[in-house]
Amino acid sequence: MLRRIYADNYRALVNFELKLGQINLFLGPNGSGKSAVFEVLRKLVNFVGGYGKVSDVFGSSDCTRWQDSCIQTFELEIAREADVYKYELAIEHAREEAKLRVRHERLWLNNKPLIRFENFDKSDFQPEVQLYRDDHSMGPRYPFDWSQSALASIFPRKENRHLTWFKERLQRVLVVAPVPQLMTEVSAQEEVRPSARLENYASWYRYLSLDQQVVIRLNTSLREAMPEFDHFKFEPLGEDHRLLRVHLRNSDGTGTIGYRFTELSEGQRTLIALYTLMAVSQTEGAGSYTLCLDEPENFLALPEIQPWLTSLYDSCSEGEVQALVISHHPELINYLLASPVGYWFERECNRPTRVKPIAADDGSGLPISELIARGWLRE
Amino acid sequence: MSSFTQVVILCEDRQQEVFARHFLESCGIDRRRLRVNVCPKGRMSGEQFVRDNYASEVRAHRSRASHLNVGLVVMTDADVKSAGEKHRELDGALVAAGELVRKTDERIAVFLPKRNIETWIYFLMGEDVNETDVYSKLKTEGGCKRLVADLAAKPQYRLTDGVLSSLRGACFELRRILPSKQCVEVQG
Repeated sequence: MLRRIYADNYRALVNFELKLGQINLFLGPNGSGKSAVFEVLRKLVNFVGGYGKVSDVFGSSDCTRWQDSCIQTFELEIAREADVYKYELAIEHAREEAKLRVRHERLWLNNKPLIRFENFDKSDFQPEVQLYRDDHSMGPRYPFDWSQSALASIFPRKENRHLTWFKERLQRVLVVAPVPQLMTEVSAQEEVRPSARLENYASWYRYLSLDQQVVIRLNTSLREAMPEFDHFKFEPLGEDHRLLRVHLRNSDGTGTIGYRFTELSEGQRTLIALYTLMAVSQTEGAGSYTLCLDEPENFLALPEIQPWLTSLYDSCSEGEVQALVISHHPELINYLLASPVGYWFERECNRPTRVKPIAADDGSGLPISELIARGWLRE
Repeated sequence: MSSFTQVVILCEDRQQEVFARHFLESCGIDRRRLRVNVCPKGRMSGEQFVRDNYASEVRAHRSRASHLNVGLVVMTDADVKSAGEKHRELDGALVAAGELVRKTDERIAVFLPKRNIETWIYFLMGEDVNETDVYSKLKTEGGCKRLVADLAAKPQYRLTDGVLSSLRGACFELRRILPSKQCVEVQG
């Protein structure tokens, strides 16, 4: 489980720390920093996953605008039963050279090192990686390029299973804000991860469909959620490309009609995407995935929200999956805040984000969504 | 599967919600037909929330009950009161709001865990419980799911004297929501 996030000098996140539970609801006004937390997670996942150099993933415009500091710092803690992995990354923005450098990158297990990549600010110092074995004894030491993640470059070996586990677990932090208008129906190739707005849904499902467990679980949950759903089918379009069709049942049970994925309504596409995220995260075993969902209820019809939400809540409550959810929807807010899972984000213009748990009794008797709408929550 | 248009669950807290929701689902009611109205954490006492919302939920139920297949399940801890006292309290809330008291043929079930919902859960775990002591909360609310499913799968047993009195009372109340035939046959 992702249990802590720290960020400093990233947009409005200044010396920002957040401790997380199994299910977490982020609330707050527009521009209060909720999505910035998701952006940090997405960038760290991409960087450690080797999806780009530091300057591809991070940008100089991401530094806090009202500060002069050129160092950005990030930390993540992931718990695995009693063990705690701590990842640290510092990035230096050399503005005069318009360059970004990794200042340090470290991974610890229970406060003992697994890898240290240090790049001191000295002209005669060659950036070096020091690897440690699973028993924390010193492993190889070698020079490394300051523009990349040292962690991303490590291949799995029998003496670095802890480090490999962390890398793989971090890749199971899925950060998405579903936008059905952007979801394509043609896949050129399988894609292992969903993209930020699920634009690549067809290619991601093409990859997922290689695992029959995921297909069975997804089909079952979709038939419950969308009684008209029957099955998915890929139609060949040339040598590599595939068109995703969704077969919907006739109401009299006489057969199905296959619709192109984009012929479905925006709400249907969103519902399919949300249940796909649930199915894939439930299949890998308890606690394997963290779903970061930015306004997942957008586009859903009102009666569809609570059934999906109760499924998500049950999965989180049973430790199958961890969820971080950003929402402004009363349906979602009022249901989830029957448990103490809410965080309130706020900030003044050109000031840092502050976050507090939502728990206190205000005595008004109003639903929390109504308190938020009236601006009374923190008054 | 039942053909309910909707069953509303009005309850005090998350543990009651998870218990009631899984009980109804295990009795064959589609999750998509369940609608939960649960007291937000820390906003007010759960008991007050149910009492305050009871009359409006009953009014809403009655406005549709003649032409839609709807049900209402109300769950509130009996605490130290008797079932009779709690029913009179809820009837009083209806009368105060200008509604008639609940009739026997209405699809409105009232579950009154005594002393509270944890008493039922520990009973289903096989613990030797009474309806006076307070039992600790579960680590996760979902811990009751399997127990609730087992109970739903024993429609005959749950109406016998071997079952904790307040839980047995709820199982009789369930027959207002599910026809008695379905109560026996859905999972039987």
